[in-house]
Amino acid sequence: LVVSKMNKDAQMTAAINQKLIETGERECLKELPRAKLTECGWKGQLKSHCKEVIKEKGLEHVTVDDLVAEITPKGRGLVPDSVKKELLQRIRTFLAQHASL
Amino acid sequence: MKMEEMSLSGLDNSKLEAIAQEIYADLVEDSCLGFCFEVHRAVKCGYFFLDDTDPDSMKDFEIVDQPGLDIFGQVFNQWKSKECVCPNCSRSIAASRFAPHLEKCLGMGRNSSRIANRRIANSNNMNKSESDQEDNDDINDNDWSYGSEKKGLWYLPFQNPNSPRRSKSLKHKNGKWGWSNGNYNNSTGISYETLGPEELRSLLTTVRGDLSSYPSLPCLPTRSLRCPQHTDEQRRTVRIYFLGPSAVLPEVESSLDNDSFDMTDSQALISRLQWDGSSDLSPSDSGSSKTSENQGWGLGTNSSESRKTKKKKSHLSLVGTASSLGSNKKKKPKPPAPPTPSIYDDIN
Repeated sequence: LVVSKMNKDAQMTAAINQKLIETGERECLKELPRAKLTECGWKGQLKSHCKEVIKEKGLEHVTVDDLVAEITPKGRGLVPDSVKKELLQRIRTFLAQHASL
Repeated sequence: MKMEEMSLSGLDNSKLEAIAQEIYADLVEDSCLGFCFEVHRAVKCGYFFLDDTDPDSMKDFEIVDQPGLDIFGQVFNQWKSKECVCPNCSRSIAASRFAPHLEKCLGMGRNSSRIANRRIANSNNMNKSESDQEDNDDINDNDWSYGSEKKGLWYLPFQNPNSPRRSKSLKHKNGKWGWSNGNYNNSTGISYETLGPEELRSLLTTVRGDLSSYPSLPCLPTRSLRCPQHTDEQRRTVRIYFLGPSAVLPEVESSLDNDSFDMTDSQALISRLQWDGSSDLSPSDSGSSKTSENQGWGLGTNSSESRKTKKKKSHLSLVGTASSLGSNKKKKPKPPAPPTPSIYDDIN
């Protein structure tokens, strides 16, 4: 039997994700950026960007998809390095703890 | 899928890192999506642009950062040194002291009335022996309790003819001791109520020189019909003055007899009266002594009606207690109780 690596990886990821949810670590991890990003002004920056987009598109005609399409890539890029590093660290710790599934 | 193959430890670090990165990306995207939803909701509900203000009003509320001012630009001690002019006394008062000053100045507020009351009490204590008590009475309404206690129940303050209390009090006293002004009216045509204090003063001082200490007193004794401050000679003089030379004077013997022990009697009267003792005597005793004294004043000359009222009233009086002394003594020279009508008969 040949088990494709991709498949394996995908399964791996799925398993890990499942583990994250089960332990509640995912919620904890989610809490971190919420606080941190507001603190560092990431949300403020993104908001002003939103205003521009909305003024451009017109207040009445803005849809969720528009916003998502416009803002998400920008948001991803605006995340400060410190926040990114901290997040990654926590994930690695979690993975190390749950090495054996 | 075997469990061993799923073990993470079998994966190399890059793989682990990749997984970590994936998880991180998921988290960031979640945050972004959440933000987008919030903005979209704000836009659709209309509160997205609420916190935007125009630059003009922004300038008004800019934070001030100068020395001596607070962040609103206000001076700290601005009102300390300012002075206000009091509308009542037209004095210039410091702003921080203005409110308490106004309270005292206008006489309103709790403290100012307390201070005023204390001052009145102090001035009352200081005025020990005044000649014109009635003035104080007008100022302070404590004449009945205070003044009477001071004078040992002998002093009846004579009030302003215009005060509503005056007639009431006199009538009250009249009822108790059979001393009615009405009698005076009938007999003499002079009413103390209608006479002003000035007229009375002149009247009484001319007739009775001993009244100088209480110039406007008509000498109405509070508890007894015999005032201890004046002798019978003086009484006779007044009697003649009021009633005319043809006035019927009481019988000399009885009046003399009365006089002999009346002075001592009055002393005992004072002591007894101040005790507020109960009347443990028969009304007839009080009646006899009373009528004799009334006689001394020449009031017995009046109509029978007044006589009857006097009799009734005398029964009620407290003098009954003190008059026990007199009655005991009087029994010797005079006939006992029943003679009450006989005395009147004599007068008639």
